[in-house]
Amino acid sequence: MIAWVGDNVISSLGFTTDENYRAVLAGQSGARLHDGMGLPEPFMASLIDRERLNDEFGGGDGYTPLEKAAILSVTRAAAGTGVDLSGERVLFFFSSTKGNVFLLDGDPATLDDRVYLWRPAALVSRHFNNPNDPVVISNACISGASAQVAARRALEAGACDHAVVVGAEMLSRFIISGFQSLKALSPEPCRPFDAARAGLNLGEAAATVIYKRAGEGEAGILLARGAVRNDANHISGPSRTGEGSFLALEAALDGISPDDVAFINAHGTATPYNDRMEAIALTRAGLAAVPVNSLKAHFGHTLGAAGVVESVISARALREGTILASKGYREQEPEYPLNVATRVAPTGKRYFVKMLSGFGGCNAALLYKKVGHGTGH
Amino acid sequence: MGLVIRKYSYINDRVASVDGRAIPVPAGEEKFLTALYRARRVDYPRFFKMDALSKLGFLASELIFEGDASRFTPRDHVAILCFNRSSSLESDAAYQATIRHGEEYFPSPSLFVYTLPNIVTAEIAIRNRLHGETAFYVLERFDPRALVGRVGEAFQDAATRAVLVAWVESFRDSREVFMMLVEKNDTIFDLPFSVESIVELLNRGRNG
Amino acid sequence: MDELILNLKREIIEVLNLEEVKPEEIEDDAPLFGEGLGLDSIDALELIVLMEKNYGIKLSDPAQGRELFKSIRVMATYIRDNRKK
Repeated sequence: MIAWVGDNVISSLGFTTDENYRAVLAGQSGARLHDGMGLPEPFMASLIDRERLNDEFGGGDGYTPLEKAAILSVTRAAAGTGVDLSGERVLFFFSSTKGNVFLLDGDPATLDDRVYLWRPAALVSRHFNNPNDPVVISNACISGASAQVAARRALEAGACDHAVVVGAEMLSRFIISGFQSLKALSPEPCRPFDAARAGLNLGEAAATVIYKRAGEGEAGILLARGAVRNDANHISGPSRTGEGSFLALEAALDGISPDDVAFINAHGTATPYNDRMEAIALTRAGLAAVPVNSLKAHFGHTLGAAGVVESVISARALREGTILASKGYREQEPEYPLNVATRVAPTGKRYFVKMLSGFGGCNAALLYKKVGHGTGH
Repeated sequence: MGLVIRKYSYINDRVASVDGRAIPVPAGEEKFLTALYRARRVDYPRFFKMDALSKLGFLASELIFEGDASRFTPRDHVAILCFNRSSSLESDAAYQATIRHGEEYFPSPSLFVYTLPNIVTAEIAIRNRLHGETAFYVLERFDPRALVGRVGEAFQDAATRAVLVAWVESFRDSREVFMMLVEKNDTIFDLPFSVESIVELLNRGRNG
Repeated sequence: MDELILNLKREIIEVLNLEEVKPEEIEDDAPLFGEGLGLDSIDALELIVLMEKNYGIKLSDPAQGRELFKSIRVMATYIRDNRKK
């Protein structure tokens, strides 16, 4: 098992984990209707305040917004942890689906090196004088979970002593037009698991979690297990049987009673097909009665960052013994009823599960455990 | 118990081979990958919808699994791990061309879905009904140590008994795939899954 | 109408990469989706783009597409009556 050392979230709702967590607890959403980016239609999205990003980053004109957000997030996650990020036993794991893809919008003749995903990843780790090549994961919308799974394995294998997992995604004309072409976006604030849900909202975020190998009797939050499984069904459509998601849940929860799970933080994008697929997978896995929530109505779908953002916020909730409400949800879908959390509630249970699914039929389930009374901070 | 290379394949713009044996591909009008598809009598029309990255990965997996009696049985013990340098940049550029400023703006959904590198892992998983782990890693340069590291660690998943691992690159003048089926085994007669083996077999593939 | 139907078949084969399908193999009245051509949800979205790009017909609701893409003839009839280019 591996233990939580530090974390940060930078999003439309704030620039520290605490600011984000309090905004979620208060039911706030970063989603706004935006015009711009050269798109023909307005779009609902949760964007990071660029002015504030520049102010808080301070200088750094040579960095793109994605790189600034990632560097700032790692800086804040590491602050006060005592982890020396320049150490050779520290390994960076960078997750993003599209990195600096906005650069393709410029002159096609001059291809900037920074559209390659490894480039912003290397700029981030080298900013901290880390001597190792970062591990770069681009596994669609489960990237942030795959990165944590990879970090856990590297720590277990002794390949490093600390793992810095950073997920970052910034929106661009490229990403938004693509989701528009798939008719996946809702023009209204999204409503995960609601019977009348009509699509997703996109969001921007950079988030970090730093892990170490868990010692004997380690207190705090542990990443107990993580599994990734494929639907083997369709390159973009969710499985009608929830096969990959079900298999991932089964692997992550092997031997754990559903009664011990405080809550499930689902992917919950609020597209009709995704949420139904997850409801089927949860039902098949015997987890339909466990409280379930989605954070997408607060942050939007932050793509390659989602797995990290939502794990950090959910881990904070577990630490505080709290089940967060699933914003945007009003009415149960009759076919596969779930126990969707409609209000903030206390819990004394020790586990939570993070679910993610993505294009390419990939699905992830991560099992986190709270041990002792330590806060880990 | 060590890791061994059970089978391997290599394809670029000119040559294809499996376990070091060249695959004969008749020269003709068609692109090399299409000619290879026809030469192996694959019969899978989805192939023509794929981007070049997926075609490469798909064909490399065909060369590895063709003739395997159990290949279409659903199973979750085979993981698929792919690596490259350019992610999906080739498809990214093709999609970007459908949304250029000042020109006709018709974003293409079928191009957009290929702007994720891990779609190649999905194409292989769908074809072979592999429900195991799928993941895509991006490297600054080809690095066999990264393959050995991530693949070795992937066996920490209790369900994983084999890993299909590929270096698969398609961007500009660089188009190739080198794929290996890696399993746990302890016989000394098998090819060990190591940095040395990877470098040697890849070079052999490139030299046709 | 026959010419429109033939053109439409050629366009569909091209944008959906139906490499091994010939225009005469697509029946005018057979369902486009389901069995046969093996089309999926992404193909349906791509047909919506085709309608707009080639014929100036904007379909805002994907459900409308489901009606229109019942067969080549249904599609061609709609194009004939509504085309803007």
